[in-house]
Amino acid sequence: MATGSEAEKGESKWEVEVPEKKLKDKLYFENLKAVVIDTELCSRCLTCVSICPSGLIVTEDDRVGFPDYEERCLDCGACVRVCPRFIYEPPSGLGEYIEIVAAKSKRFTGQDGAMATEIIASAIDMGMIDQGLFVDRSEKWETSIFHVRDPKQFGIGTLGGTKYVFAGILPALKDAVRFTKKGVGVVGTPCMISGIRKLQEEFPVFREKVKLVVGLFCTENFHYEDLMKFLRDEKEIEIEKILKTDISKGSMYITIEGKEKKRKVKMAEFEERGLVAKGCDFCTDFTAVQSDASVGSVGSEKGFSTVIVRNENAKEVMEYIREKGTAEFSEEIVMDEIDYLIKFKKKREAHIKELKLPA
Amino acid sequence: MKKVATPDYTVADKLKTHVAALSTAAKEVVLPLNITTHYPRERKRQPACFRGFMLFDPERCISCFQCSFVCPANAIWMKEAPSGRYYPTVDHGKCIYCHFCVDTCPGGALKTTKIHDIAFRTMDEMVVMTEDMVEPPAIIREDKVVVDYVIDKEDLTLKRTKEVDELIVEIAPSEGVPMVSVCVDRGSCIACKVCDKVCESGAVSSVKDEEKLIVKMEIDPEKCTGCGLCVKECSMQILRLVRRE
Repeated sequence: MATGSEAEKGESKWEVEVPEKKLKDKLYFENLKAVVIDTELCSRCLTCVSICPSGLIVTEDDRVGFPDYEERCLDCGACVRVCPRFIYEPPSGLGEYIEIVAAKSKRFTGQDGAMATEIIASAIDMGMIDQGLFVDRSEKWETSIFHVRDPKQFGIGTLGGTKYVFAGILPALKDAVRFTKKGVGVVGTPCMISGIRKLQEEFPVFREKVKLVVGLFCTENFHYEDLMKFLRDEKEIEIEKILKTDISKGSMYITIEGKEKKRKVKMAEFEERGLVAKGCDFCTDFTAVQSDASVGSVGSEKGFSTVIVRNENAKEVMEYIREKGTAEFSEEIVMDEIDYLIKFKKKREAHIKELKLPA
Repeated sequence: MKKVATPDYTVADKLKTHVAALSTAAKEVVLPLNITTHYPRERKRQPACFRGFMLFDPERCISCFQCSFVCPANAIWMKEAPSGRYYPTVDHGKCIYCHFCVDTCPGGALKTTKIHDIAFRTMDEMVVMTEDMVEPPAIIREDKVVVDYVIDKEDLTLKRTKEVDELIVEIAPSEGVPMVSVCVDRGSCIACKVCDKVCESGAVSSVKDEEKLIVKMEIDPEKCTGCGLCVKECSMQILRLVRRE
């Protein structure tokens, strides 16, 4: 965004390139609906929700929709421009990286080593960004977005840890870039990272203001209503008493308040009931290859997080963490575990090939 | 320690001060000098710039929301009219009568009056709706005398005239600072054409070239009134109001 004397000038004539429609004579949203939403290719990253000028794209019954789009869609094409799956080039593999380390935060507790939290907190400390977007959860595990402006705010216990349900990070990001001075840091799943990169590719506002993008290792995600109904009704787990959920080695482990033993639910059970989000079937990106740094538990020992540092800005943050000594480091990385899951997700390319897109 | 001595008055000095005191007393009995205006029988003449109850002219309003943005007391709430336009309502429980809203109004729809004596029975009544701001409020006028304050060197005296002061002020609407809307970040424009839709003066145009897949956006500085409606509505926040050169 132009500031100061530059903003004073401004322009009164400009041109905007709009994307091509796959289906001519249809609204852009109808194109998006036909290509991405109706084919269930949609990963629910909510990039379209964040950019829609009418603000009317919503999620209904865990699907992205636009009530009355025939009348209310402005047909600007922004949703199509930013959708990472309208023209889908599925990212996969380990991606380019500077270093891979295992680390454990000394300050915070999270899913494993709390390194996503540590990286954002350190970036705030070193003045790279002035706010970080995190997903908070309620007692009922409903997600909401929390704007962290001071690392002390991580004292809120529910900010760290994986939620395994969708959250609207990207719609919040648009407001955050509007009000930030230094920049914004974001943590998200690989599909959200692709969405953010697409936004940055298209719009200078996001290029300048989104300074740090932390991706999470991700195999799949769940729809809130379905997952909670399954856990409550079939597994008889009180949602309010769940302290932590964790997926490893083909099962979900649920830590429940007052019980020592974790509940184990096989992933096959989720798949049988179709609880895994459909869009994840088409995702081949395990390590969030487009991020500045990827974080996940896979590949490092218990209590540590694997951090894949990809870009210079993330490297600076990691150096700052080393300098301040806010995290413990370990060189023990089991690449086989990461490779296994990369290959596991790579197999989903077959699903993309089977997909019938409207001509 | 020094003792303060009593001045040595002569008999003539004492007599002089006594005579002065008695004459002032006699003057006050015959012609009392007070500077209190006997409201409501009298009314002080206020200047035309007096910040009193505000009147509103819907004809001049362009629903730009500037009044509600500028209000430091958050007293202005924009209410949707049946026509779909938004008009201001003023909460007199919050209003600090700074009249920033009057000054900021680009169309001169809000104007001041000299009315300072409006009364409300309940807190809810203090939120004055748009329709009640079009006509001056009904107030009971008992005053038949207008009081002017006359300052003569160090003396302040009141000048009373038998007349009824006109409380409605007729002044030309302020021209304000001439502003024009411009785009400061063309790369972030999504061509949603919201600016074109909201512009009431027809200054914004958006033409889509279907073949080249380009939307040509233009703000005509000649037609732009600088109301700021497009700046407010722009979903990407890339329009700004700048001083007209």
